[in-house]
Amino acid sequence: MTPLLHLQDLSVDLPLGGLFSRGKALNILAGITLDLPRGQTLGLVGESGSGKTTLARAILGLQPSSGTMLFDGKPLASRSDYRAIRRRSALMFQDAAASLSPRMNVEQAITEPFTIHREPMGRRRDRAAELLAEVGLPAAFAARFPHELSGGQARRVGVARALALKPELVIADEPTAGLDVSVQADILNLMADLKERHGLSYLVITHNLALIRHVADRIAVLYLGRLVETGPTAEIFAVPAHPYTQSLIAAEPKPDPRKRRADLAIQGEIPGVLRRPRACEFHTRCPLAQEICRQDEPVLRTIAPGRQARCHLIEEKTLNRETTDELDHQSPQLS
Amino acid sequence: MSEAVLNVEDLALSYPGGVQALRGVSLQVRPGEVLGIAGESGCGKSTLASAMISLLSSGAEITGGAVYLRGENLMALSERDRRRLRGREIAMVFQDPLTAFNPVLRIGEQLVDFQVNAEGSSREKRRRAAAMLSKVGLEPDLALSRFPHELSGGMRQRAAIAAALLMRPAVLIADEPTTALDVTMEAQIIHLLRELQAEVGCAIVIVTHHLGVIAELCDRVAVMYAGEVVEVAPVDDLYHDPLHPYTRALLSCDPSALVEHTGHLPTIGGRLPDLADPPPGCAFAPRCPLASESCATPPPRVRPAPAREVLCHKVAP
Repeated sequence: MTPLLHLQDLSVDLPLGGLFSRGKALNILAGITLDLPRGQTLGLVGESGSGKTTLARAILGLQPSSGTMLFDGKPLASRSDYRAIRRRSALMFQDAAASLSPRMNVEQAITEPFTIHREPMGRRRDRAAELLAEVGLPAAFAARFPHELSGGQARRVGVARALALKPELVIADEPTAGLDVSVQADILNLMADLKERHGLSYLVITHNLALIRHVADRIAVLYLGRLVETGPTAEIFAVPAHPYTQSLIAAEPKPDPRKRRADLAIQGEIPGVLRRPRACEFHTRCPLAQEICRQDEPVLRTIAPGRQARCHLIEEKTLNRETTDELDHQSPQLS
Repeated sequence: MSEAVLNVEDLALSYPGGVQALRGVSLQVRPGEVLGIAGESGCGKSTLASAMISLLSSGAEITGGAVYLRGENLMALSERDRRRLRGREIAMVFQDPLTAFNPVLRIGEQLVDFQVNAEGSSREKRRRAAAMLSKVGLEPDLALSRFPHELSGGMRQRAAIAAALLMRPAVLIADEPTTALDVTMEAQIIHLLRELQAEVGCAIVIVTHHLGVIAELCDRVAVMYAGEVVEVAPVDDLYHDPLHPYTRALLSCDPSALVEHTGHLPTIGGRLPDLADPPPGCAFAPRCPLASESCATPPPRVRPAPAREVLCHKVAP
């Protein structure tokens, strides 16, 4: 079956303006090859500045890009292609409350997509009530304004608006950032229900690994605009292949004081795109970096069925259970 | 057990509109300990943190109780005396360090200014600032000459921690210090706080909704719900033997606590009570799986073990 979304060698370059840099461009993303099968959830993870949101914008045509994109098997090239993908997809924004116009009440906000895409909606009030019911809010919420909503309610309104046109693809940018754990679980459960009910496919962008572990079927790890690892979520969490993925997973604080770490998995922070390291972008922070990592650029290659990684060193420690177990237990307890 | 360095006694605080943000909070901070304050948004944890350093937002009104810093009642002091204590005895780190610094002054100038009450020449103060910056892992010469906006979020938080610890306070209060950061930077800041705590020997009060951060960093934890402290326990007991039903519910919601992949996450049904009109009985009862008739009356503060207390009808003393 053709995947709902297929990206082949996608790149994004930002042209630099200015007197001295005219004609030059700043590379943000390169070589992104990804598939999102229908009815699945793909998690896009990485630190801030890794290009996650830029990729989402490029998919919706909000950011010029080069490379090949197929939506439902059809190439996305012209403006009308993008209009079509925007009609059949929806975006859930990071800051749900801020993404809603303060001058529109909930009813207007969630039915606006019909107006934008000139779709028949019947009676506005009925459609709004239907959408609110879908996301578990009472119909009376239709008359509220964004400032009258709690964080969790604003998220639900964001979901209702995203669902308005019965999309096939939903791109959720940090769908639960800033929410309490219990409300976060509510929203994720709602997204899971809707996925099942409407056969949605999700692209979930987040830096919260604990969350993505329970939500995504597959994950793609980005570092400084490069895809460094992709594969089934369970396998990546069991045996992360790329040193960056390993560091990210190890950096997540565990809610158990008996599992405190004495050492740090990763030092420093992601370098800016203006100071992109040569060869392997991760070598400046990689605990395993060797000469080759400073010399040659690694390529994304298949390391196991369904899994790909972009690292020179994977042969030597190829998904070796022992090595990764060691990494897991490398954290002696503090008393 | 040593004398508490900071003692919150039966503190009650209201915001305009009659919202009772703190309802009889008692909590001790012991010298050199790391105390975590956990709870969901709206439970009063940030209000408690700002009351501890008597930096309340306008409109907040103390309706009862007191906060003692080394025996001095902060609420009874003049604003001038309180300013004398801040920095020297107690300091604070905020969630967004960009708002904590003056945007038009270089980090170096600000770190010198913060030592206004200290002895020594300005050269001496600058040297002290540089030493503290290198302690928090920043390149001192570089950081001193930067404006706040020229630093990344993680570097800014490091600079804010350096500023807070400059005068070697007895208590450092950190309100969601890692919430705005990536996991990798969060781990580094946690590590840094732990190192500095060992070195400076100050007590740290860390307010966060992130249970992983508390598990990593704290010695003791206070869990808040609806303006009350519902459970206090040593960190290991809290995570491995939680007693209050709310603590249990909160811990089980954390997706990082679930090892098995699950499509459906546990949640806490219901919602927070309206703090403008809090229920007379247990505030958690409407959401509590154990609730019974007795929960309609105010719950007792039970001490099931020497270092533990729980606000619940259902816990055996």
